Amino acid sequence: MSDAHAFIALDSAACTSCLVCARECPDWCIHIEQHSETLAGDGRPRTVKLLDSFVIDWSSCMFCGICIEVCPYDALSWAPKPVVAESTRAGLAYGISELADPKMDDEG
Amino acid sequence: MTAIDMTGLRGAGRTYAVTGRPGLHVSVANLGLACCAVEFGSAVTRGLLEPADPTLEPEMTVLVVSGTLTHRLTPALVEAWDAVVGPRVVLALGACATSGGPYWDSYAVVEGIDSVVPVASYVPGCPPRPEALVAAIVSLADAS
Repeated sequence: MSDAHAFIALDSAACTSCLVCARECPDWCIHIEQHSETLAGDGRPRTVKLLDSFVIDWSSCMFCGICIEVCPYDALSWAPKPVVAESTRAGLAYGISELADPKMDDEG
Repeated sequence: MTAIDMTGLRGAGRTYAVTGRPGLHVSVANLGLACCAVEFGSAVTRGLLEPADPTLEPEMTVLVVSGTLTHRLTPALVEAWDAVVGPRVVLALGACATSGGPYWDSYAVVEGIDSVVPVASYVPGCPPRPEALVAAIVSLADAS
């Protein structure tokens, strides 16, 4: 039996804080905080968004994968790492470090 | 022996044991739009859970709430919880029981059963797998 759809992993380096996943999530279980910074360069100043926090709240996640489908930068992906039961609801809210794909950790 | 009378609830009052753990009894409350209850049934048909021996005194009773709790059904859950004799814990199976799931902003749905009864284990998923259910039950028993 496959565990391939057990976990939704986040590659935070690929995330541009565009919020598409959070807006498309059917039950609004993705919570993103970001801020903008203006970078000075040779040309006109460029404003970029920076990710502060990215939380998937498994307490209401349906594991439908819509967030993975809509992400324009492939920052989200299925991972074969089951989300285990918790004794508190807060324990089911995973942040950036907990959402990191274990395979990516291995590769450094 | 657990005495549970959940009159009016389908599949009410049935008690199971974790296969290989005869002293650990599991009771199912089939509440409302409980598609997660299908996964509970799957745990039984796969042999992960088996009918409990009624002559055995349970070391603990796990009340598994599998499904969407509506405000209308809240008294039934309280009744089921009050009817559990001896050491008891509640296990919220799936997103609906845990937080209301996709229906959390519905006027009719309770935003997580922990506002009604104390929950010892939240099993994520929509639905969770039978293996996840049984793993959570066993870890509850081992922790107690």
